[in-house]
Amino acid sequence: MTKRSTTHATFVIERDFKAAPAKVFDAFANPQSKAKWFGGPEEWEKSNHKLDFRVGGKESVSGGPPGGTVHHYNAEYWDIVPNERIVSSYEMHMDKTRISVSLASMEFKQNGAGTTFVLTEQGIFLDGYDDAGERERGTRELLDQLETYLNK
Amino acid sequence: MATTTHASFVIERRYDASPHRVYAAWSDPAAKRQWFVEGEGWEIQSYELDFREGGAEKSRFRHLKGEETFGEKTIFGNETVFNEIAPSERIIFTYSMDRNGVRFSVSLASVEFKAAGAGTRMIFTEHAAFFEGGDGAQLREAGWRELLGKLDRYLKGAAS
Repeated sequence: MTKRSTTHATFVIERDFKAAPAKVFDAFANPQSKAKWFGGPEEWEKSNHKLDFRVGGKESVSGGPPGGTVHHYNAEYWDIVPNERIVSSYEMHMDKTRISVSLASMEFKQNGAGTTFVLTEQGIFLDGYDDAGERERGTRELLDQLETYLNK
Repeated sequence: MATTTHASFVIERRYDASPHRVYAAWSDPAAKRQWFVEGEGWEIQSYELDFREGGAEKSRFRHLKGEETFGEKTIFGNETVFNEIAPSERIIFTYSMDRNGVRFSVSLASVEFKAAGAGTRMIFTEHAAFFEGGDGAQLREAGWRELLGKLDRYLKGAAS
């Protein structure tokens, strides 16, 4: 039996984007937009992304290196204020093992013609499979992909 | 304008009951209703608990006498989804609070049950995002301390 451990951590990432809040928000709210940037590294195999963007709606995507561990992302949306705020909870599984449950808040603030974007993740990391440092690195990479998408 | 503040708190409690019994007070709908929902001065309009991973718990309630923070016309709504259930060991859930249909907080919480002698050391951790008009961490922690005190009284009553 796995020894259970429960580790709690919070991190905050702030980014300034040149795009307006409505465009940055659309990159999260619109399934076609989100599928263009949201996922693992390019070399990963990725399953179809599903997004039902409404309070109580769900999102899922899976991916991983060819032949390797499959990482599953499963989220639920809890609060949506158009162009201003999104709050979701999400679970990560590696194959069938749940490795974390997180609360993610995304705030979109007008900053000149662009957007100050603030992501706060309050995470519970389970049984030693993942940690906040690793998660924050991964999230920063995702936001780099978002920025590349927004600048296209 | 949306405003969002974040806070976390931890409450640790010892109970004279075994982890199995303390866990049962969370998992059994009739047991949980007694300490988590019922309370003097509150009108319970609805309560349902579907205790399984992905299952929901929903309640609507109203304070009858009114109090300094919220008037008596306020209808509160609480919705929970269970993320993880490890019997007698750990429960992880996400929950929201609404006031008259307007969401004012979303939280992620874990409850850990650890054997301590013949009893249980229970660790409750909450991570919360409070919105416009939200109650904030101090009131939320006070509310949970009161609930976990009611759990203690429930366990002592159920034991006799």
